[in-house]
Amino acid sequence: MANTVIGSTIVIDGEITGDEDLVVLGTVKGRISLRENILVENSGVVEASVETATITVNGSVTGDIRASERVELSTSCHVVGDIRAPRILIADGAAFKGNVDMDG
Amino acid sequence: MSAPKTVPGLSEGTTIGPDIQVSGRVDGEEDLRIEGRIDGAISLTETVFVETSGVVVAQVEARDVVVSGIVIGDVTATNSVTLNSGAKLVGNISAPRLIIADGAAFRGEVAMGDAPPVERRKSTVARATRTESAAESAPRRAAPRKAASRPAAAPKARPAARPAAKARPAAAPKVDDSEITVVVKHAALARGQTAAKKKPAAKKKKAKKASKKARARVPARGKRRVSRRS
Repeated sequence: MANTVIGSTIVIDGEITGDEDLVVLGTVKGRISLRENILVENSGVVEASVETATITVNGSVTGDIRASERVELSTSCHVVGDIRAPRILIADGAAFKGNVDMDG
Repeated sequence: MSAPKTVPGLSEGTTIGPDIQVSGRVDGEEDLRIEGRIDGAISLTETVFVETSGVVVAQVEARDVVVSGIVIGDVTATNSVTLNSGAKLVGNISAPRLIIADGAAFRGEVAMGDAPPVERRKSTVARATRTESAAESAPRRAAPRKAASRPAAAPKARPAARPAAKARPAAAPKVDDSEITVVVKHAALARGQTAAKKKPAAKKKKAKKASKKARARVPARGKRRVSRRS
């Protein structure tokens, strides 16, 4: 399914752009700009501004999130930053600090 | 378009898919499979696989590097570098082991500088020369050797590309002074510096001798030949 996996010991410092699903188990700093889905796993740490279609966060995201479809914050996630998306799902147990804009 | 489900523990390493471009630094301690594009720098302690669709415009440092795609940039490996058929590499390679398969395209320098220095056999010519020249060239010998052993010195691949020539003088300090001298001369010859200074001097001396001999036969202007008869 997901072709691109960023492993748990990988640290990427820069920009990621693409047209594919992305699974983050490691650390990404900088910017992410995708047109598909992003999954930030429990061990994933994203210190970046994210632009994507959908994003599911199980780990930690520090930075603004702009999704064109949907944002999902699961239990035990930790998000600090603004979220702009037409649909948002925040599960019980998620930690979130920031603004929410659902203007789409 | 549902979000991808949780991926079962993928311990085999990291994959950068064919439609992904990463611009920046990638550091890690696991295998990295590149099918997309990476610009910048890669530094891993494991293996980097550049697949056929992968394009890497970066400096690569890893333990092993296996290239089946395109790499533009210096590659430094602590163990081995493999270029498979269809690989294209433009840049310098610095690795102790190298495999280039038929069909690979490569342009750049190769430095296998981590190989042990060649043992130098004893030389019989002994000449007394100033030890200053030996001392002066010792730091120069040490410096390129250091550059060769450090895997990160990829841009210094040129001085490291002469470890064979300089490894012999570097092995010399173990033996006595006369050997150092001879070896220093050899190193100087390889460099073409010091020897060049001494050569014209030697040539001049020889030329003088030859001309003196020639003059002895041809008398100076205005004087007749001094013969033994008279």
